[in-house]
Amino acid sequence: MLGEFEYVLITAAAGLGENAYGAAIREEIEKGAGRTCSIGALYTTIERLEKKGMLRTWMGEATAQRGGRAKRMVHVTPKGLHAAKEFYESMMRVSRNASWVKGKPERAS
Amino acid sequence: MRSMAELAAIFLAPKDRDAVLGDLAETCASGWSAPGPVLGLVVRQQMELWRAWQPWVASGVACAGSLLLLSASFGLSMDSRQLLRGERGYGSVLCEALLMLAWAWTSGFMVVSLSAKTRWASGILGVIPCLSCVVRFHEASLPRVCVLLFLLPAVAGAVHGVRRARLSRRTALTLAVTMTVLMAVWGGMYLRNWFFFLPAGWLVVHAERANRPRQEISA
Repeated sequence: MLGEFEYVLITAAAGLGENAYGAAIREEIEKGAGRTCSIGALYTTIERLEKKGMLRTWMGEATAQRGGRAKRMVHVTPKGLHAAKEFYESMMRVSRNASWVKGKPERAS
Repeated sequence: MRSMAELAAIFLAPKDRDAVLGDLAETCASGWSAPGPVLGLVVRQQMELWRAWQPWVASGVACAGSLLLLSASFGLSMDSRQLLRGERGYGSVLCEALLMLAWAWTSGFMVVSLSAKTRWASGILGVIPCLSCVVRFHEASLPRVCVLLFLLPAVAGAVHGVRRARLSRRTALTLAVTMTVLMAVWGGMYLRNWFFFLPAGWLVVHAERANRPRQEISA
């Protein structure tokens, strides 16, 4: 099963689609999850997920904005999508009776 | 002039270096704040490597191997001196020298081929006993370097490991069998020397794993 940050990273990369690369994923995580994301955490997790076959990365084009340096593009593989879906569903199942979940079924007293 | 971040990025692989420095340029991180994230990544990558068993075994072999090879080098130096005095035969000393060469080469090869990315940590763990031994060495009739005879073949083995060269199965088996025969002939089948079956065995196992295309060499 995925770790929490692995799930967040896959979700951000999947949401960005063809524009998923290091800096964009980091921005998406910081904006969406409201937490800081260090470059170290981002790239070591990308590396780990790539080894697990959940991501595929390749070097993209270099731009002037990046000082002529290439982007590390990220693509979520079907295995990654499946793992993220499984994580999401298990979180939903675990959370269904939690007090903060809206519309949860009333417990009989 | 190179920025601080570029200097810190020396420790990264070229692919990571480009991506990380590009990301930093894109987010306008510069000056003193830029090297922090880069060094953070370097530390995390190193820590990630040590989650596998290979770096631990490689470091153990480097440390234990260098201790045993120090003693083997010293033994060879003493026996060579006896040979010069006519107290020992050529055959015995030749066997011992060949064995030490093979032990050192296979140990260096094993350490690096097991975990190339942590080779510097393994190297440091191998060098510490050497330095300690050289500093404490007191034998008036022998120079201090006589305990370091194994260093050159060990480094040669490590260089082959870095180049990811693979011995052919036949060569690896021949080397392992030759080492065993030499040990039997020399009469050195005692406990210390059994350790060196580990790198010899590794050579054979490593040669067997032919599922990845690699450069094949014949020793």
